[in-house]
Formats: sequence, C-alpha cells, structure tokens
Amino acid sequence: MPTDSRRIAGPESSTNPYSFCTEKPRHDLLKNGKRQDGRKENNLRPIFLKAGVVSQARGSAYIEQNETKVICAVYGPREVVRKEDFSMKGLLTCEFKFAIFSCRERRQHQQDIEEKDYSVQLLEALEPAVCLDKFPKAQMNIYVTVLQNDGSALAAAITCASVAMADSGIEMYDLVAGCAVRVAGKNLLMDPCNQEEYKPEDETGLTNSGSVTVGLMPSLQQVSAISSKGEIEFELVKQAVAKCVDVCTQLYPVLQQALVKSVSERQNEEG
Amino acid sequence: MVDVLLSDAEKTFIIHGIQDNLRDDGRGCEDYRHMEIETDVVSSTSGSAKVRLANTEILVGVKAELGEPSSGKPDKGRLEFFVDCSANATPEFEGRGGEDLALEISNMLTRAYDCPKCLDLGKLCVIKGQQCWVLYVDILLLECGGNLFDAASVAVKAALYNTCIPTVTVSQDEGHVDIELSDDPFDVQHLDVTSAPCIVTLSKIGHSHVVDASQKEEACCLARLMMGVTEKGTVTALKKEGSGSLDPSSVEEMMETGKRVGQALNKSLMEVLCLEEQKGKKKEKTGFLR
Repeated sequence: MPTDSRRIAGPESSTNPYSFCTEKPRHDLLKNGKRQDGRKENNLRPIFLKAGVVSQARGSAYIEQNETKVICAVYGPREVVRKEDFSMKGLLTCEFKFAIFSCRERRQHQQDIEEKDYSVQLLEALEPAVCLDKFPKAQMNIYVTVLQNDGSALAAAITCASVAMADSGIEMYDLVAGCAVRVAGKNLLMDPCNQEEYKPEDETGLTNSGSVTVGLMPSLQQVSAISSKGEIEFELVKQAVAKCVDVCTQLYPVLQQALVKSVSERQNEEG
Repeated sequence: MVDVLLSDAEKTFIIHGIQDNLRDDGRGCEDYRHMEIETDVVSSTSGSAKVRLANTEILVGVKAELGEPSSGKPDKGRLEFFVDCSANATPEFEGRGGEDLALEISNMLTRAYDCPKCLDLGKLCVIKGQQCWVLYVDILLLECGGNLFDAASVAVKAALYNTCIPTVTVSQDEGHVDIELSDDPFDVQHLDVTSAPCIVTLSKIGHSHVVDASQKEEACCLARLMMGVTEKGTVTALKKEGSGSLDPSSVEEMMETGKRVGQALNKSLMEVLCLEEQKGKKKEKTGFLR
C-alpha cells in the first residue's frame, strides 16, 4: 500500500475498538414482516435530494437517505489535458471517494480498490445517459464524495451524480436513478442500510445472500448499470433486478422535482 | 479493452450476421471458440494453468504462502487476485497502460469468488486469528484475442484445481505454538473447486447477444453483461460493462443465456480437469503461444 509522505500517518499499528467486540450474527433481518429500523420489505428510506449546492461547480447535487449522505460535483466541459485523451467523443471521468471518516472503520486518504471499482461502475452508469457526441475534444469530471455511509452508497451516488450532471446543463438523454436491494433467503429488502448490507465475512448460513444494485434511465426504460455481490439463485436475481427497475421508475419524479426546484431558485436569484 | 480498427462497413457486416445467428467465424451465438487447457505448467508454483481460447492466451500461477488472516475473517484463508497485462500482448499495455483493465479483471474475479460457498477458505486456516494460507493468484495475459474475462476465470479455476497446499501440523506446548511443515512433498491437500464460479460475458450486438465475443465483435459491442455462474446455476457476481445501456427485458434474456452457458462451461471444464489429472505425468506438454 503506497502512502502519502506529505501527510502525517497515524501510528503504525492501531486497532479500531469495534474489531474487539463480537457482533452477533444478524439472522433476523426481518422480524414479523418488519426490518430492524421499522421499515417493511419494500419501503425505502426517505430521500432528500437537492441540486445546486456547490457554487463553484458547474453542477452539483446532494442526496440524503437517512444516514447515507452523498455529495457530488460536476466540472467541465473543458479541454482535455493530455494529448492522448483526444477523441471525437467527450471524455467522462468519475472519482468516487468515501470520506475518511464516513464508514465505521477509518478509510485511507488514497482511493482503495473498492472505491476504484465504484468509480468505474458509476462511470458506466452515467456514460449512456450523457450526449457525449456533442462534446468533441472535451472532458467532463464527476466527483462524488460519500460523507456518511449507511448502506446503498453506490445507488445513492448514481442518483446524485445524474442530478448533478443535469444541473450542470450538460445535454443528456435521460437521468439515471439508482437502487439497491439486499437478498437474504427469499426476502428482498429494498434500500438496505449498513446493518442489512451484504458482508461476505459474516456467513449467515443462508443459500441466498447477496445484494444487487441497478441504475436505470427511467424515461427510456434502459438499464445503464447493474452489479451484484454474493451468491444468489438465478430466479431471485431476476426478481431483484425487476424490483429495482420498478423502484427506480418510482424515484424519477423525485429527481425531476429536485431539478425543477433548483432551476426556479436560480431564476429567482437572477430576476 | 484492446481495440482493433474496424470500418463501419465491417461492423455492419458483423452485426447483420449476428442477427441471423451467424458469426464471422462460423459459430452460432451461444458457442465458445476452441479452448485448450493445460495444468501444472510452471513448476515453481503451487498450482498453475494455461488457457488458450482461440487467440487469447492466459497463464495463471497460484502461490500458497503463510500469512495473517484479515481482521474481518479470522478463521478463513485469503485469496488474492493480481492481473498482469504483459506488453507482449499489445504495446498499449506498456508501462501503466494495462492497469485499468487489470484492475477490472481482478475486481470482477474477487467479487465472483467473494462468497462463502464458492471456495472453502475455512480449510486454509492454520491458527485462528494468527496464521492462514494466503493464495496469491497471479494472472498473466500473454495474448489478447477477445473475451479476456471468461478465459481468465476458466484459467483461475483450473489453476486452483491444480493447487497443492502442503500439509502443516500445529503443535502447542505451554502457550508456545509451533507450525511444522510436512517433509513429504506428496503429502498435500487439494482444494475443492466444484462450486467455484466461471465468468460468462454476454455482448449485446445489434438486437441479439453473443457469448465469447472475438476482438472484432467486441469492437461492435457497446454493452456487455458479465456473470459469475456456478455449476448449480447460482449467480455470484453481475456487472454491466461498456458505454451502452440495456433494455430490462434483454437483461433478463442475457441472464438466461448466461446461466445456461455458464453451467455447461463449468461442467465441461470439470470433466476436462478430471481427465487431465488422471493422465498425470503421461500427458503431452504443449507449451506456450503456439
């Protein structure tokens, strides 16, 4: 692991106190049809979505789903820096980062493998939605920071980034809504929080245990991102994807409302 | 992905062909190209395999070392994937050129293997919380002829099948723990890879989808769906790749195909591996890059 010499590193060996406590395995994700936070299987957490939060950026958005908080800023279109990156299609880049303090365990300053993986997935979720043909020789950069992670961070990031992109005025074919689902046994829990998220280390003994994240362009009805973790039966994967597609379609008005609000606010400021 | 230059007319030719279930090399849409597998090719490893899928050639070496288990899983061994894109395959890989692709392949494999039932990592634990076997799976791309993910996953499974882990005995006296390695080089343990996944990549070309896309077909394809499929037909990893998007109904169709093809692939791979093991030392060696 390369370290940044300009930063003061913590002590060489330090341990998170939480790693000493023995967590009891969470066999009861669903009790009497209710989840740990009182939601039903299909219920999402309340969403707060606001566009235009970073004044310096071309476009930006902030999303909050209870304790999951994600901020995203879009810069560009601007000229490509490196000659090799020249292309007749616009270049989209994505940087996904968990804030160092955002998770239960402290993250490193530099992007780790998980963050790089999420960056690629986010990029591939947004690429089909942006009219890149209209921006030859240009690049657009998306920066996503997770301020606090309480599960479904990638899904929230997809939604947030697409709203930020639309807020920047860059031409798009459609917005992208993201949604995650946790598969546990025969149950499909929508929008899992951190406790419910699939973690390969705590073996629950279930045959079906995993999670699926889907990004959907709602008005085109096209899936732009799909990813899964854990071992899941085929029929359940199909169900999970279908359910995510459904929920993403339902999220569409929320995204639209956020954009309309930001535009009218901007008009009020100017007028 | 490594790109080939293809004119619009050539692309149209390929796309129209696939619409009629005819590919430019004569295959049907669900057919793999000819695949050759050879195990135990590098003697300095604990297990190795070489897979040649038409023009794609991948060499995998597994090295077993003793190390510390990760803090989240104190009673499990570790599996680490590393992909090296050799600049021999294409000059684009020179320096850091292949890094993105390498990371993508290793991430996909890590995800596909990251479920408790794929590979029994509990067997690799030596002393709980202190010592375990770490399997370093190093994947070397020698030649790129399309469909790297599938070929890499097949090679990984074959190499893990071939892996021999020396037997160790742990003795404990007065709080002092000793690990003793067996003197007998044939006193080894094998891994059970029957439920390990294979990755199947489905490329959407035109209105239909194909498995095992060649380099030319990859150039025509905007969106791919990758699936980690086990022998039982369960899905261990799913990923959409590429700059295009997919219709929900075609996602379903592609997954159906992926499951079917993946199960068949796993089955024939296990048959070939068993056959190869039976031959033992008598088998013919073919060597690299023919």
